[in-house]
Amino acid sequence: MNARAVTSDVLLGMVPIALLIAIWQAVGSLGYAPATLLPPPGMVFARLAQQLLTRTFQQEIAATLFRLFTGFLIAVVVGVTIGLFAATNPAINAVVRPIVRVLAPLPKVALYPALLLLLGFGHESKITLVVADALFPILLSTYYGASMVEQKLIWSAMAAGTPRRQILFKVVLPAAVPSILTGCRIGLVISCIVVFLAEMITSTDGLGHVLVTAARTFQAVDMFVPLITISLLGLILNGLLQGLRSYLLRGFPEV
Amino acid sequence: MMLGRPLLARSAPLLACLGLLGIWQVAALIINTDSFPTALDAIRAIPSILGDKESLINILASLRRMAIGFGVAVIVSIPLGLMMGRSRAVAAFFNPLLMVTYPVPKAALMPIIMLWLGVGDLAKMLVIFLGVSLPVIYHSFQGAKAVEEKMLWSGAAMGLSAAQRMIRIVLPAALPEILTGCRTGLVLALITMVTSEMIARQSGAGNILFNALDMGQYDTVYAMIIIIGAMGIGLDAAFENMRGRLVKWSEPGFDIPLSFA
Repeated sequence: MNARAVTSDVLLGMVPIALLIAIWQAVGSLGYAPATLLPPPGMVFARLAQQLLTRTFQQEIAATLFRLFTGFLIAVVVGVTIGLFAATNPAINAVVRPIVRVLAPLPKVALYPALLLLLGFGHESKITLVVADALFPILLSTYYGASMVEQKLIWSAMAAGTPRRQILFKVVLPAAVPSILTGCRIGLVISCIVVFLAEMITSTDGLGHVLVTAARTFQAVDMFVPLITISLLGLILNGLLQGLRSYLLRGFPEV
Repeated sequence: MMLGRPLLARSAPLLACLGLLGIWQVAALIINTDSFPTALDAIRAIPSILGDKESLINILASLRRMAIGFGVAVIVSIPLGLMMGRSRAVAAFFNPLLMVTYPVPKAALMPIIMLWLGVGDLAKMLVIFLGVSLPVIYHSFQGAKAVEEKMLWSGAAMGLSAAQRMIRIVLPAALPEILTGCRTGLVLALITMVTSEMIARQSGAGNILFNALDMGQYDTVYAMIIIIGAMGIGLDAAFENMRGRLVKWSEPGFDIPLSFA
């Protein structure tokens, strides 16, 4: 694809987004919807910019990000560890596989009331929910990535005298990195969504709580602001991880 | 050995279920607080929920909304995804929009959509529709993109029109991938349904769960969790069974899709 085709693709892609915002604006200005129901985009983004500068809103973002990253990091550590061991050890695989089969399609959000009862209304229950949701894509992608490592690589490492334990870290783990990073990207966006939903269901702070508070008082503008903030956070984090991925995989053929 | 292995492989998920319930039972006995009943107590509370007419109607109404939201999403998303996979212009047109909407928590739209559409079924079905569409579009897109050009050329050479090529070549070739998307979408529909009901707190399975929590009926809370969990596992298993029959010829790359959220 040459540069001109890429530019025209990008321009084409901007059309529906611009159209959506134009319709959003038009519905308001033509008087089909009052601003209390659907505030015009200009108003929402102005409010967003204004809120981002206030101390309280920054604290809400910080609370959400803290839960998000703690949960995500735990999920990465646990998921990669279990995934690696399940892929390389048949005995562990025999135990992990059926359990994952059962737990992966289980709607984790249904566990949230139980987590509330067991861990209380603070950070712990939300972080645990994030871990439960982000764990499976990371675990599965690690497992799939590590099971597809070429046997020849492992044999060569063994022939070169690498001890069995080191093969895991020197051969299997690096070979599985592209797949692991894909899983991490999915897990990260899921974490963003889940932490927000958990905060909406019960919370005293965080972005989700801001939305619920606004909904109770029918402040439509303030309902859009946290929703857009969390979506932007998801987009930015997704982009950062994508950047990290292409940096880490800069020698690899396109995967 | 020949007979024993598949039997063991087939019963492994069941054993896993029993194992998890066993761990729960032991953990509850050790912790021994009111807010964490044993697995047996929770299972004993299930018949009273399913036997209660009002909660049964509530759960069935939830499932009906889920089925409609899922069905409409699949009908709209598959053709869109296939067209995106076969036409670069269509893909370039929709891709950025889908990328931007991907990290939006769909169930969180519930309060806003309720402002517009009221608290009725329509708002809930719309949210489920939004939640299901993205993975189905994405997988149909990937499936259609991977169709071998040569097959399309032979089809064109034999005089198939563009529409016929789409239905007779692209659709079957992309079917395994489409079904993977639908499988993810189905579990997502259930998740979105439960979440939106937890947020809106009007009716449905999610609402029963939180009402029981508020009233301190802990057995009911855990029984509801088992019911919803069983729905997820059951729907996924049933769909996987159907998928296996429909596309017997295709070896699935991954036997569990990466993302269910």
